[in-house]
Amino acid sequence: MTAPAVEETTASIAARSVTPKPARLRWILIQVAAVVLAGVVWSLASLAFPSSTLPPPTAVFARLGELALTPGFWSAVGITIATFAIALVICIVVGVPVGLAIGASTVATQSTRLLFDFLRTIPPIAILPLLLLVLGAEMEMVLVLAVGGAIWPILIQSIYAARQGEALLVEMAKSYRIPKAWFIRHIFVPGAIPFVMTGLRLGTTICLLLTISGELLGSAPGVGYEIANAQAFYDNTRMYAYVIVSAVLGLIVNGGFWALQRRLLRWHPSVRGEARS
Amino acid sequence: MSRLRTWVSLVALELWLPLLLVVIWWFASENSTSVYFPPLRVILQSFAENWLVPERALANLGPSLQVIGLGYGVALLGGIAIGTLLGLVRPFERAVRPIVEALRAIPGVALLPLFIVLFGIDQPMRILLVAYGAAWPVLLNTLDGVRAVEPTLLDMARIFRVGRARRLFQIILRSAGPQIFAGARISLAITLIIMVVSETVGASGGVGYFLMTAKSEFRISSMWSAIVALGILGYLLNILFRIAERYVLRWHRLQQARLEKAS
Repeated sequence: MTAPAVEETTASIAARSVTPKPARLRWILIQVAAVVLAGVVWSLASLAFPSSTLPPPTAVFARLGELALTPGFWSAVGITIATFAIALVICIVVGVPVGLAIGASTVATQSTRLLFDFLRTIPPIAILPLLLLVLGAEMEMVLVLAVGGAIWPILIQSIYAARQGEALLVEMAKSYRIPKAWFIRHIFVPGAIPFVMTGLRLGTTICLLLTISGELLGSAPGVGYEIANAQAFYDNTRMYAYVIVSAVLGLIVNGGFWALQRRLLRWHPSVRGEARS
Repeated sequence: MSRLRTWVSLVALELWLPLLLVVIWWFASENSTSVYFPPLRVILQSFAENWLVPERALANLGPSLQVIGLGYGVALLGGIAIGTLLGLVRPFERAVRPIVEALRAIPGVALLPLFIVLFGIDQPMRILLVAYGAAWPVLLNTLDGVRAVEPTLLDMARIFRVGRARRLFQIILRSAGPQIFAGARISLAITLIIMVVSETVGASGGVGYFLMTAKSEFRISSMWSAIVALGILGYLLNILFRIAERYVLRWHRLQQARLEKAS
Protein backbone atom coordinates (compact mmCIF):
# COMPACT_ATOMS: atom_id res chain seq x y z
CA MET A 1 0.00 0.00 0.00
CA THR A 2 2.89 2.34 0.63
CA ALA A 3 5.18 1.73 -2.32
CA PRO A 4 2.88 2.73 -5.20
CA ALA A 5 1.51 5.71 -3.27
CA VAL A 6 3.76 8.21 -5.01
CA GLU A 7 2.70 7.42 -8.54
CA GLU A 8 -0.85 6.90 -7.45
CA THR A 9 -1.26 10.26 -5.76
CA THR A 10 0.32 12.33 -8.47
CA ALA A 11 -1.69 10.50 -11.05
CA SER A 12 -4.94 10.27 -9.15
CA ILE A 13 -6.59 13.08 -11.10
CA ALA A 14 -5.50 11.77 -14.45
CA ALA A 15 -5.94 8.17 -13.31
CA ARG A 16 -8.89 7.52 -15.56
CA SER A 17 -7.07 8.51 -18.71
CA VAL A 18 -3.75 6.94 -17.75
CA THR A 19 -4.93 3.48 -16.67
CA PRO A 20 -4.45 0.98 -19.50
CA LYS A 21 -7.61 -0.16 -21.25
CA PRO A 22 -8.11 -3.75 -19.98
CA ALA A 23 -7.56 -2.79 -16.33
CA ARG A 24 -9.96 0.10 -16.80
CA LEU A 25 -12.66 -2.19 -18.15
CA ARG A 26 -12.19 -4.53 -15.22
CA TRP A 27 -12.58 -1.67 -12.78
CA ILE A 28 -15.74 -0.51 -14.49
CA LEU A 29 -17.14 -4.04 -14.15
CA ILE A 30 -16.22 -4.12 -10.46
CA GLN A 31 -17.86 -0.72 -9.95
CA VAL A 32 -21.00 -1.83 -11.75
CA ALA A 33 -21.05 -4.93 -9.54
CA ALA A 34 -20.78 -2.72 -6.44
CA VAL A 35 -23.69 -0.59 -7.62
CA VAL A 36 -25.77 -3.68 -8.35
CA LEU A 37 -24.90 -5.04 -4.92
CA ALA A 38 -26.06 -1.78 -3.34
CA GLY A 39 -29.31 -2.11 -5.28
CA VAL A 40 -29.76 -5.66 -3.96
CA VAL A 41 -29.17 -4.46 -0.41
CA TRP A 42 -31.77 -1.73 -0.96
CA SER A 43 -34.27 -4.31 -2.33
CA LEU A 44 -33.71 -6.60 0.65
CA ALA A 45 -34.08 -3.69 3.04
CA SER A 46 -37.35 -2.70 1.37
CA LEU A 47 -38.73 -6.16 2.20
CA ALA A 48 -38.28 -5.42 5.89
CA PHE A 49 -40.41 -2.25 5.70
CA PRO A 50 -43.97 -1.83 4.48
CA SER A 51 -43.69 -1.08 0.77
CA SER A 52 -45.09 2.41 1.22
CA THR A 53 -42.25 3.30 3.61
CA LEU A 54 -39.30 2.03 1.64
CA PRO A 55 -40.23 1.01 -1.90
CA PRO A 56 -37.75 -1.22 -3.80
CA PRO A 57 -35.40 0.49 -6.29
CA THR A 58 -37.25 -1.02 -9.26
CA ALA A 59 -40.46 0.73 -8.21
CA VAL A 60 -38.68 4.02 -7.66
CA PHE A 61 -36.91 3.98 -11.02
CA ALA A 62 -40.10 2.89 -12.80
CA ARG A 63 -41.84 5.84 -11.19
CA LEU A 64 -39.01 8.12 -12.20
CA GLY A 65 -39.49 6.93 -15.77
CA GLU A 66 -43.20 7.71 -15.63
CA LEU A 67 -42.55 11.14 -14.14
CA ALA A 68 -40.00 11.93 -16.82
CA LEU A 69 -42.81 11.75 -19.37
CA THR A 70 -44.81 14.49 -17.65
CA PRO A 71 -44.22 18.19 -18.39
CA GLY A 72 -44.50 19.05 -14.69
CA PHE A 73 -41.35 17.05 -14.00
CA TRP A 74 -39.30 18.95 -16.54
CA SER A 75 -40.58 22.34 -15.46
CA ALA A 76 -39.59 21.53 -11.84
CA VAL A 77 -36.14 20.37 -12.93
CA GLY A 78 -35.78 23.36 -15.25
CA ILE A 79 -36.69 25.86 -12.55
CA THR A 80 -34.24 24.32 -10.09
CA ILE A 81 -31.41 24.33 -12.62
CA ALA A 82 -32.23 27.90 -13.70
CA THR A 83 -32.37 29.15 -10.10
CA PHE A 84 -29.09 27.45 -9.27
CA ALA A 85 -27.34 28.70 -12.41
CA ILE A 86 -28.55 32.29 -12.13
CA ALA A 87 -27.61 32.41 -8.43
CA LEU A 88 -24.15 31.07 -9.18
CA VAL A 89 -23.60 33.55 -12.01
CA ILE A 90 -24.67 36.44 -9.75
CA CYS A 91 -22.28 35.22 -7.06
CA ILE A 92 -19.39 35.09 -9.53
CA VAL A 93 -20.17 38.37 -11.29
CA VAL A 94 -20.51 40.23 -7.99
CA GLY A 95 -18.22 38.24 -5.70
CA VAL A 96 -15.07 37.96 -7.81
CA PRO A 97 -14.63 41.63 -8.85
CA VAL A 98 -15.66 42.99 -5.45
CA GLY A 99 -13.36 40.52 -3.72
CA LEU A 100 -10.43 41.38 -5.98
CA ALA A 101 -11.04 45.11 -5.47
CA ILE A 102 -11.17 44.75 -1.69
CA GLY A 103 -8.16 42.48 -1.67
CA ALA A 104 -6.12 44.98 -3.65
CA SER A 105 -6.27 47.42 -0.73
CA THR A 106 -4.92 46.52 2.70
CA VAL A 107 -7.17 49.06 4.43
CA ALA A 108 -10.28 47.71 2.70
CA THR A 109 -9.31 44.13 3.53
CA GLN A 110 -8.83 44.84 7.21
CA SER A 111 -11.93 47.01 7.46
CA THR A 112 -14.17 44.34 6.01
CA ARG A 113 -12.56 41.29 7.62
CA LEU A 114 -14.66 41.17 10.78
CA LEU A 115 -17.84 42.10 8.93
CA PHE A 116 -17.46 39.35 6.33
CA ASP A 117 -16.35 36.89 8.98
CA PHE A 118 -19.58 37.51 10.83
CA LEU A 119 -21.88 37.54 7.80
CA ARG A 120 -20.26 34.37 6.47
CA THR A 121 -21.03 32.40 9.62
CA ILE A 122 -24.73 33.31 9.75
CA PRO A 123 -26.53 30.19 8.52
CA PRO A 124 -28.15 31.55 5.33
CA ILE A 125 -31.27 29.55 6.03
CA ALA A 126 -31.92 31.93 8.96
CA ILE A 127 -33.16 34.62 6.59
CA LEU A 128 -35.55 32.24 4.79
CA PRO A 129 -38.65 33.27 6.83
CA LEU A 130 -37.93 36.94 6.19
CA LEU A 131 -37.49 36.31 2.46
CA LEU A 132 -40.72 34.30 2.43
CA LEU A 133 -42.63 37.19 3.94
CA VAL A 134 -41.12 39.84 1.70
CA LEU A 135 -40.83 37.98 -1.60
CA GLY A 136 -43.32 35.12 -1.23
CA ALA A 137 -42.92 31.48 -2.30
CA GLU A 138 -41.36 32.38 -5.63
CA MET A 139 -38.24 31.61 -7.54
CA GLU A 140 -36.83 35.06 -6.66
CA MET A 141 -36.97 34.17 -2.98
CA VAL A 142 -34.89 31.02 -3.56
CA LEU A 143 -32.53 33.00 -5.75
CA VAL A 144 -31.83 35.58 -3.02
CA LEU A 145 -31.36 32.80 -0.47
CA ALA A 146 -28.87 30.92 -2.66
CA VAL A 147 -26.91 34.07 -3.49
CA GLY A 148 -26.91 35.12 0.17
CA GLY A 149 -25.29 31.86 1.16
CA ALA A 150 -23.02 31.05 -1.74
CA ILE A 151 -21.45 34.46 -2.31
CA TRP A 152 -19.28 34.43 0.84
CA PRO A 153 -16.78 31.71 -0.03
CA ILE A 154 -16.38 33.19 -3.52
CA LEU A 155 -15.97 36.74 -2.21
CA ILE A 156 -13.54 35.78 0.55
CA GLN A 157 -11.41 33.56 -1.68
CA SER A 158 -11.25 36.38 -4.23
CA ILE A 159 -9.91 38.68 -1.51
CA TYR A 160 -7.21 36.10 -0.79
CA ALA A 161 -6.59 35.79 -4.51
CA ALA A 162 -5.84 39.49 -4.85
CA ARG A 163 -3.61 39.43 -1.79
CA GLN A 164 -1.49 36.49 -2.93
CA GLY A 165 0.42 38.74 -5.36
CA GLU A 166 3.81 37.63 -4.11
CA ALA A 167 6.04 40.58 -3.37
CA LEU A 168 8.90 38.85 -5.14
CA LEU A 169 6.95 38.54 -8.39
CA VAL A 170 5.76 42.13 -8.22
CA GLU A 171 9.29 43.40 -7.59
CA MET A 172 10.66 41.30 -10.39
CA ALA A 173 8.01 42.51 -12.81
CA LYS A 174 8.94 46.06 -11.84
CA SER A 175 12.65 45.66 -12.28
CA TYR A 176 12.22 43.98 -15.64
CA ARG A 177 9.70 46.66 -16.63
CA ILE A 178 7.14 44.08 -17.56
CA PRO A 179 4.06 45.83 -19.01
CA LYS A 180 1.05 45.88 -16.71
CA ALA A 181 -1.25 44.04 -19.11
CA TRP A 182 1.27 41.28 -19.61
CA PHE A 183 1.78 41.01 -15.85
CA ILE A 184 -1.95 40.67 -15.23
CA ARG A 185 -2.46 38.15 -18.00
CA HIS A 186 0.52 35.90 -17.33
CA ILE A 187 1.34 36.32 -13.64
CA PHE A 188 -1.60 37.72 -11.71
CA VAL A 189 -4.49 35.78 -13.23
CA PRO A 190 -2.82 32.34 -13.17
CA GLY A 191 -1.87 32.99 -9.55
CA ALA A 192 -5.37 34.07 -8.60
CA ILE A 193 -7.36 31.33 -10.33
CA PRO A 194 -6.61 28.52 -7.85
CA PHE A 195 -7.89 30.68 -4.98
CA VAL A 196 -11.03 31.68 -6.83
CA MET A 197 -11.64 28.06 -7.83
CA THR A 198 -11.56 26.94 -4.20
CA GLY A 199 -14.20 29.51 -3.33
CA LEU A 200 -16.19 28.57 -6.39
CA ARG A 201 -16.26 24.90 -5.45
CA LEU A 202 -17.56 25.66 -1.96
CA GLY A 203 -19.99 28.20 -3.37
CA THR A 204 -21.34 25.71 -5.90
CA THR A 205 -22.10 23.08 -3.26
CA ILE A 206 -23.76 25.58 -0.93
CA CYS A 207 -25.69 27.12 -3.81
CA LEU A 208 -27.30 23.81 -4.81
CA LEU A 209 -28.00 22.88 -1.18
CA LEU A 210 -29.73 26.21 -0.59
CA THR A 211 -31.67 26.12 -3.84
CA ILE A 212 -33.21 22.79 -2.90
CA SER A 213 -33.65 23.83 0.76
CA GLY A 214 -35.41 27.02 -0.21
CA GLU A 215 -37.80 25.15 -2.50
CA LEU A 216 -38.42 22.42 0.05
CA LEU A 217 -39.07 24.70 3.01
CA GLY A 218 -40.48 27.68 1.23
CA SER A 219 -42.77 25.74 -1.14
CA ALA A 220 -41.28 27.59 -4.08
CA PRO A 221 -41.53 25.70 -7.38
CA GLY A 222 -38.75 23.23 -8.19
CA VAL A 223 -37.39 19.82 -7.28
CA GLY A 224 -37.31 20.66 -3.55
CA TYR A 225 -40.99 21.48 -3.59
CA GLU A 226 -41.79 18.23 -5.42
CA ILE A 227 -40.02 16.27 -2.67
CA ALA A 228 -41.99 18.05 0.06
CA ASN A 229 -45.22 17.73 -1.89
CA ALA A 230 -44.78 13.97 -2.46
CA GLN A 231 -44.10 13.53 1.21
CA ALA A 232 -47.19 15.52 2.17
CA PHE A 233 -49.27 13.06 0.11
CA TYR A 234 -47.43 10.08 1.65
CA ASP A 235 -46.36 9.15 -1.87
CA ASN A 236 -42.94 7.87 -0.92
CA THR A 237 -42.14 6.32 -4.28
CA ARG A 238 -42.51 9.71 -5.93
CA MET A 239 -40.52 11.30 -3.13
CA TYR A 240 -37.58 8.92 -3.64
CA ALA A 241 -37.76 9.49 -7.38
CA TYR A 242 -37.27 13.22 -6.83
CA VAL A 243 -34.51 12.62 -4.28
CA ILE A 244 -32.73 10.68 -7.03
CA VAL A 245 -33.27 13.63 -9.35
CA SER A 246 -31.61 15.93 -6.81
CA ALA A 247 -28.70 13.48 -6.58
CA VAL A 248 -28.32 13.50 -10.36
CA LEU A 249 -28.29 17.31 -10.31
CA GLY A 250 -25.55 17.15 -7.67
CA LEU A 251 -23.58 14.69 -9.78
CA ILE A 252 -23.82 16.89 -12.85
CA VAL A 253 -22.71 19.94 -10.89
CA ASN A 254 -19.76 18.09 -9.32
CA GLY A 255 -18.74 16.55 -12.60
CA GLY A 256 -18.97 19.87 -14.42
CA PHE A 257 -16.88 21.47 -11.76
CA TRP A 258 -14.13 18.89 -11.98
CA ALA A 259 -14.03 19.21 -15.75
CA LEU A 260 -13.70 22.99 -15.46
CA GLN A 261 -11.05 22.72 -12.78
CA ARG A 262 -8.98 20.29 -14.82
CA ARG A 263 -9.14 22.60 -17.81
CA LEU A 264 -8.23 25.75 -15.95
CA LEU A 265 -5.69 24.29 -13.58
CA ARG A 266 -3.95 21.65 -15.66
CA TRP A 267 -0.64 23.24 -14.86
CA HIS A 268 -1.21 23.63 -11.15
CA PRO A 269 0.56 21.07 -8.93
CA SER A 270 -1.78 21.47 -5.96
CA VAL A 271 -5.00 20.74 -7.82
CA ARG A 272 -5.53 17.88 -5.45
CA GLY A 273 -4.52 19.42 -2.16
CA GLU A 274 -7.51 21.59 -1.42
CA ALA A 275 -10.63 21.23 0.65
CA ARG A 276 -13.34 19.21 -0.99
CA SER A 277 -16.95 19.79 -0.20
CA MET B 1 4.17 51.20 23.65
CA SER B 2 4.31 51.43 19.89
CA ARG B 3 3.26 47.80 19.71
CA LEU B 4 0.20 48.65 21.76
CA ARG B 5 -0.54 51.53 19.44
CA THR B 6 -0.32 49.38 16.30
CA TRP B 7 -2.53 46.81 18.02
CA VAL B 8 -5.13 49.44 18.88
CA SER B 9 -5.13 50.87 15.37
CA LEU B 10 -5.50 47.38 13.91
CA VAL B 11 -8.51 46.64 16.09
CA ALA B 12 -9.98 50.04 15.24
CA LEU B 13 -9.49 49.31 11.55
CA GLU B 14 -11.31 46.00 11.86
CA LEU B 15 -14.15 47.39 13.97
CA TRP B 16 -15.12 50.70 12.39
CA LEU B 17 -17.13 49.34 9.47
CA PRO B 18 -19.25 46.79 11.39
CA LEU B 19 -19.96 49.38 14.08
CA LEU B 20 -20.83 52.02 11.51
CA LEU B 21 -23.27 49.65 9.80
CA VAL B 22 -24.98 48.82 13.10
CA VAL B 23 -25.30 52.54 13.88
CA ILE B 24 -26.71 53.20 10.42
CA TRP B 25 -29.14 50.31 10.84
CA TRP B 26 -30.19 51.67 14.24
CA PHE B 27 -30.96 55.18 13.01
CA ALA B 28 -32.32 54.22 9.60
CA SER B 29 -34.79 51.78 11.14
CA GLU B 30 -35.68 53.91 14.18
CA ASN B 31 -38.79 55.41 12.62
CA SER B 32 -39.49 52.44 10.40
CA THR B 33 -43.16 51.65 10.03
CA SER B 34 -42.55 48.74 7.68
CA VAL B 35 -44.01 45.54 9.05
CA TYR B 36 -41.05 43.45 7.93
CA PHE B 37 -38.25 45.75 9.02
CA PRO B 38 -38.91 46.82 12.61
CA PRO B 39 -36.57 49.28 14.38
CA LEU B 40 -33.34 47.69 15.59
CA ARG B 41 -34.27 48.82 19.12
CA VAL B 42 -37.36 46.61 19.05
CA ILE B 43 -35.37 43.68 17.65
CA LEU B 44 -32.79 43.96 20.41
CA GLN B 45 -35.55 44.15 23.03
CA SER B 46 -37.05 40.98 21.65
CA PHE B 47 -33.59 39.42 21.56
CA ALA B 48 -33.10 40.18 25.24
CA GLU B 49 -36.49 38.68 26.09
CA ASN B 50 -36.12 35.49 24.09
CA TRP B 51 -32.43 34.70 24.16
CA LEU B 52 -30.96 36.26 27.27
CA VAL B 53 -33.45 35.11 29.94
CA PRO B 54 -31.97 31.77 31.11
CA GLU B 55 -35.03 29.53 31.02
CA ARG B 56 -36.26 30.80 27.66
CA ALA B 57 -32.80 30.66 26.17
CA LEU B 58 -32.54 27.08 27.38
CA ALA B 59 -35.84 26.10 25.76
CA ASN B 60 -34.92 27.84 22.52
CA LEU B 61 -31.29 26.82 22.30
CA GLY B 62 -31.08 23.53 24.21
CA PRO B 63 -32.51 21.20 21.55
CA SER B 64 -30.50 22.93 18.82
CA LEU B 65 -27.26 22.60 20.72
CA GLN B 66 -28.02 18.93 21.30
CA VAL B 67 -28.55 18.39 17.57
CA ILE B 68 -25.37 20.32 16.72
CA GLY B 69 -23.23 18.61 19.35
CA LEU B 70 -24.31 15.04 18.75
CA GLY B 71 -24.90 15.35 15.01
CA TYR B 72 -21.62 17.12 14.31
CA GLY B 73 -19.78 14.75 16.65
CA VAL B 74 -21.10 11.68 14.87
CA ALA B 75 -20.38 13.32 11.51
CA LEU B 76 -16.75 13.95 12.49
CA LEU B 77 -16.13 10.49 13.93
CA GLY B 78 -17.95 8.68 11.12
CA GLY B 79 -16.42 10.84 8.40
CA ILE B 80 -12.89 10.38 9.69
CA ALA B 81 -13.34 6.63 10.27
CA ILE B 82 -14.87 5.86 6.88
CA GLY B 83 -12.61 8.33 5.10
CA THR B 84 -9.52 6.67 6.61
CA LEU B 85 -10.80 3.23 5.69
CA LEU B 86 -11.44 4.28 2.10
CA GLY B 87 -8.12 6.10 1.92
CA LEU B 88 -6.12 3.11 3.13
CA VAL B 89 -7.92 0.31 1.29
CA ARG B 90 -7.52 1.61 -2.22
CA PRO B 91 -9.18 -1.20 -4.22
CA PHE B 92 -12.25 -0.97 -2.00
CA GLU B 93 -12.41 2.79 -2.47
CA ARG B 94 -12.24 2.38 -6.22
CA ALA B 95 -14.95 -0.26 -6.25
CA VAL B 96 -17.44 1.84 -4.28
CA ARG B 97 -16.49 5.19 -5.85
CA PRO B 98 -19.68 5.49 -7.95
CA ILE B 99 -21.81 4.84 -4.87
CA VAL B 100 -19.89 7.39 -2.80
CA GLU B 101 -20.15 9.98 -5.58
CA ALA B 102 -23.90 9.40 -5.93
CA LEU B 103 -24.60 9.54 -2.21
CA ARG B 104 -22.57 12.65 -1.59
CA ALA B 105 -24.27 14.42 -4.48
CA ILE B 106 -27.63 14.32 -2.69
CA PRO B 107 -28.16 17.65 -0.93
CA GLY B 108 -28.59 16.69 2.75
CA VAL B 109 -31.78 18.68 3.10
CA ALA B 110 -33.48 16.68 0.32
CA LEU B 111 -33.29 13.67 2.61
CA LEU B 112 -35.37 15.29 5.35
CA PRO B 113 -38.63 13.62 4.23
CA LEU B 114 -36.86 10.27 3.93
CA PHE B 115 -35.40 10.54 7.41
CA ILE B 116 -38.82 11.46 8.78
CA VAL B 117 -40.25 8.30 7.21
CA LEU B 118 -37.44 6.15 8.58
CA PHE B 119 -36.74 7.66 11.98
CA GLY B 120 -39.81 9.66 13.00
CA ILE B 121 -39.99 13.35 13.78
CA ASP B 122 -38.12 13.50 17.06
CA GLN B 123 -34.65 14.50 18.09
CA PRO B 124 -32.88 11.29 16.88
CA MET B 125 -34.04 11.96 13.31
CA ARG B 126 -32.51 15.46 13.42
CA ILE B 127 -29.25 14.22 14.87
CA LEU B 128 -28.97 11.49 12.23
CA LEU B 129 -29.79 13.87 9.38
CA VAL B 130 -27.14 16.34 10.53
CA ALA B 131 -24.67 13.49 11.01
CA TYR B 132 -25.33 12.18 7.52
CA GLY B 133 -25.30 15.49 5.69
CA ALA B 134 -22.31 16.95 7.51
CA ALA B 135 -20.17 13.81 7.28
CA TRP B 136 -19.39 14.16 3.57
CA PRO B 137 -16.91 17.04 3.56
CA VAL B 138 -14.99 15.44 6.45
CA LEU B 139 -15.09 12.03 4.79
CA LEU B 140 -13.86 13.25 1.41
CA ASN B 141 -11.13 15.43 2.87
CA THR B 142 -9.95 12.65 5.18
CA LEU B 143 -9.82 10.35 2.18
CA ASP B 144 -7.68 12.82 0.24
CA GLY B 145 -5.53 13.65 3.26
CA VAL B 146 -4.84 10.04 4.17
CA ARG B 147 -3.89 9.31 0.60
CA ALA B 148 -1.46 12.19 0.42
CA VAL B 149 0.60 11.12 3.42
CA GLU B 150 4.30 11.43 2.66
CA PRO B 151 5.34 7.91 1.54
CA THR B 152 8.82 8.31 3.03
CA LEU B 153 7.21 8.80 6.44
CA LEU B 154 5.36 5.52 6.10
CA ASP B 155 8.45 3.71 4.85
CA MET B 156 10.42 5.06 7.74
CA ALA B 157 7.74 3.97 10.20
CA ARG B 158 7.93 0.51 8.68
CA ILE B 159 11.70 0.37 8.96
CA PHE B 160 11.52 1.34 12.61
CA ARG B 161 8.73 -1.18 13.14
CA VAL B 162 6.27 1.35 14.45
CA GLY B 163 3.10 -0.46 15.54
CA ARG B 164 -0.09 -0.32 13.49
CA ALA B 165 -2.07 1.81 15.94
CA ARG B 166 0.72 4.32 16.34
CA ARG B 167 1.22 4.44 12.60
CA LEU B 168 -2.45 5.20 12.11
CA PHE B 169 -2.88 7.82 14.81
CA GLN B 170 0.52 9.44 14.97
CA ILE B 171 1.54 9.41 11.34
CA ILE B 172 -1.39 8.97 8.99
CA LEU B 173 -4.13 10.89 10.79
CA ARG B 174 -1.68 13.48 12.03
CA SER B 175 -0.37 14.42 8.65
CA ALA B 176 -3.88 14.34 7.21
CA GLY B 177 -4.93 16.73 10.02
CA PRO B 178 -4.84 20.05 8.16
CA GLN B 179 -7.01 18.69 5.38
CA ILE B 180 -9.40 16.98 7.82
CA PHE B 181 -9.87 20.34 9.52
CA ALA B 182 -10.52 22.05 6.19
CA GLY B 183 -13.35 19.56 5.66
CA ALA B 184 -14.61 19.88 9.22
CA ARG B 185 -14.99 23.63 8.75
CA ILE B 186 -17.29 23.11 5.76
CA SER B 187 -19.16 20.46 7.74
CA LEU B 188 -19.82 22.96 10.50
CA ALA B 189 -21.56 25.34 8.12
CA ILE B 190 -23.65 22.48 6.72
CA THR B 191 -24.49 21.32 10.25
CA LEU B 192 -26.08 24.68 11.02
CA ILE B 193 -28.14 24.71 7.83
CA ILE B 194 -29.47 21.18 8.28
CA MET B 195 -30.12 21.79 11.98
CA VAL B 196 -32.38 24.75 11.24
CA VAL B 197 -34.14 22.97 8.38
CA SER B 198 -34.77 19.80 10.40
CA GLU B 199 -36.20 21.78 13.30
CA THR B 200 -38.93 23.24 11.16
CA VAL B 201 -40.67 19.85 11.15
CA GLY B 202 -42.26 18.35 14.23
CA ALA B 203 -40.02 20.09 16.73
CA SER B 204 -41.27 21.58 19.97
CA GLY B 205 -38.21 23.71 20.63
CA GLY B 206 -34.98 24.86 19.07
CA VAL B 207 -33.91 27.81 16.95
CA GLY B 208 -35.46 26.52 13.74
CA TYR B 209 -38.78 25.89 15.46
CA PHE B 210 -38.73 29.34 17.04
CA LEU B 211 -37.90 30.96 13.72
CA MET B 212 -40.71 29.27 11.80
CA THR B 213 -43.40 29.72 14.47
CA ALA B 214 -42.47 33.38 14.86
CA LYS B 215 -42.86 33.74 11.11
CA SER B 216 -46.20 31.95 10.89
CA GLU B 217 -47.57 33.84 13.90
CA PHE B 218 -46.32 37.04 12.34
CA ARG B 219 -44.18 38.01 15.33
CA ILE B 220 -41.69 39.80 13.11
CA SER B 221 -39.41 41.22 15.79
CA SER B 222 -39.13 37.75 17.39
CA MET B 223 -38.23 36.36 14.00
CA TRP B 224 -35.52 38.99 13.60
CA SER B 225 -34.22 38.18 17.06
CA ALA B 226 -33.84 34.54 16.00
CA ILE B 227 -31.85 35.64 12.93
CA VAL B 228 -29.56 37.66 15.19
CA ALA B 229 -29.26 34.70 17.58
CA LEU B 230 -28.36 32.35 14.74
CA GLY B 231 -25.73 34.78 13.51
CA ILE B 232 -24.16 34.97 16.95
CA LEU B 233 -24.38 31.20 17.38
CA GLY B 234 -22.67 30.63 14.04
CA TYR B 235 -19.95 33.12 14.87
CA LEU B 236 -19.28 31.62 18.31
CA LEU B 237 -19.13 28.09 16.92
CA ASN B 238 -16.60 29.27 14.36
CA ILE B 239 -14.44 30.82 17.06
CA LEU B 240 -14.59 27.56 19.04
CA PHE B 241 -13.62 25.72 15.89
CA ARG B 242 -10.66 28.00 15.31
CA ILE B 243 -9.44 27.47 18.88
CA ALA B 244 -9.71 23.69 18.48
CA GLU B 245 -7.90 23.85 15.16
CA ARG B 246 -5.07 25.92 16.61
CA TYR B 247 -4.69 23.49 19.48
CA VAL B 248 -4.77 20.28 17.47
CA LEU B 249 -2.69 21.56 14.58
CA ARG B 250 -0.11 23.46 16.59
CA TRP B 251 2.61 21.10 15.27
CA HIS B 252 1.62 22.18 11.77
CA ARG B 253 1.96 25.84 12.60
CA LEU B 254 5.31 25.31 14.29
CA GLN B 255 6.57 23.41 11.30
CA GLN B 256 5.42 26.10 8.89
CA ALA B 257 7.08 28.78 10.99
CA ARG B 258 10.29 26.76 11.02
CA LEU B 259 10.17 26.31 7.26
CA GLU B 260 9.64 30.01 6.77
CA LYS B 261 12.58 30.82 8.98
CA ALA B 262 14.76 28.36 7.12
CA SER B 263 13.96 29.73 3.69
